[in-house]
Amino acid sequence: MSRNGNIMNCSEIAELTPLYLSLELDRDRAAAFDAHLKSCPSCMRELERQARLDAELREVVAGEPVDTASVDRRVRERIAAESEGSSWLAPLHRRWVIVAIGAAAALLIVAVGYRGLLGSRVAPVYAAAALDHRREVVQNEPRHWKVDPSAVAALAESQGIPVSAPAALSSGAYRLERAKLCFLDGRIFLHLVYSDGTQEFSVYLRQRGAESLPGRTRETDNGRVLHTSDSGSEHVASFQTDGLTVMVVTDQSADTALHFARFAAATL
Amino acid sequence: MGQAGVLRRAACLISPELSGQNVTTRQNEFEEIAMPHSRSLLRVARRLAFDSATAEDLVQETLLCGWRNFNQFQRGTNARAWLFRILFNAFYARGRKIRSGPVLLPLQSPGREAEPQSRAASSLLDSAAVTRALEELSPEHRTVLLLAVVEGFTCREVAEILSLPIGTVMSRLSRARQALRDRIAPAAPKLCRARANAE
Repeated sequence: MSRNGNIMNCSEIAELTPLYLSLELDRDRAAAFDAHLKSCPSCMRELERQARLDAELREVVAGEPVDTASVDRRVRERIAAESEGSSWLAPLHRRWVIVAIGAAAALLIVAVGYRGLLGSRVAPVYAAAALDHRREVVQNEPRHWKVDPSAVAALAESQGIPVSAPAALSSGAYRLERAKLCFLDGRIFLHLVYSDGTQEFSVYLRQRGAESLPGRTRETDNGRVLHTSDSGSEHVASFQTDGLTVMVVTDQSADTALHFARFAAATL
Repeated sequence: MGQAGVLRRAACLISPELSGQNVTTRQNEFEEIAMPHSRSLLRVARRLAFDSATAEDLVQETLLCGWRNFNQFQRGTNARAWLFRILFNAFYARGRKIRSGPVLLPLQSPGREAEPQSRAASSLLDSAAVTRALEELSPEHRTVLLLAVVEGFTCREVAEILSLPIGTVMSRLSRARQALRDRIAPAAPKLCRARANAE
């Protein structure tokens, strides 16, 4: 329902679209927004166009090379110099330099990994999923996740995904941890994160459209054709059911991704 | 926002002297919490400033300001938003205006890395069109798009970073998206049609 408890109209949808795209609408308004989208193809098309444009802009700008080595070095030098002035412990200063070098090496590894991610021949949707997993699960960038099972179910329902699907994929040691909507390659996906307490992996779900999945065909499980692809340090396993497109992404191993995809293919 | 007072200062004062152990702990924390955001900061600063040297100076100033006031940063809050607010305060404190002229980037400039191979050759034109359209936007529109779309900040965070009411951010973002689309559409009509057909 809208701010007045009524059904939203197109004008309110246009006004609230920025909050919807940034997942800032509260549950009631998000539900009213979704209800309007289901009944208004025009607003749905407009939202999808905006989402595609956002994805394009993000990919273009975020994909530009940014070399921070020089500025990072200067900042660390200045900090070290200022700290030396306020600290009389030379050994700790040396330790700071070691930390800085280690961090620089880590950043270099990340940068190389990122370039590898961009430079590999990976389908855009897999590359987008891999990058999303790395930023939001591995690097844990702050986002507005839904953790309450009923809220996760509502997110699934808003995307035409069976409400039982997120919980059904909890298996063995891995439990559903959190969920949110995201845009990959211009399409809305439900991003689910499962964790065993130490390791996490992502599952991306969307209602199946006319799209077919790219990637190497690995095997067939439960009548579902499983595809695998590596993108940088992330591993993707994907398949489609009659109603869903499913991608499993992990930074652990290709076998882990495939293992869970097999389970998901048998479950969904 | 508890750190707002600190961030509104034009100049950053060095915090009280710390013991050696505290300095090291704080350095480690800063390295972990703040330094990973230098890439995002530089990406945005390059589109604010007139040249890359100014952008790097701006990021350096931002991070050093963050370091000097790091004892006032509330752990567990959004460090990236905190740093971006410092970035914009530092920028405005310099008395600079946001770059408003279009900057045309050559597709294959020396020193520019190859485009991702996942983007097909036909997408190169698309990338150039998007980049050019972004540069042609008004500074206000470009800024909210960079923060909300590219950097992934929520409207509320963008409002705090730019010290604007959230309603202003929302309307500015809507107009910015429309303006970007208007500029891209005539630039790459074939691609747009192709995509529309593919949907």
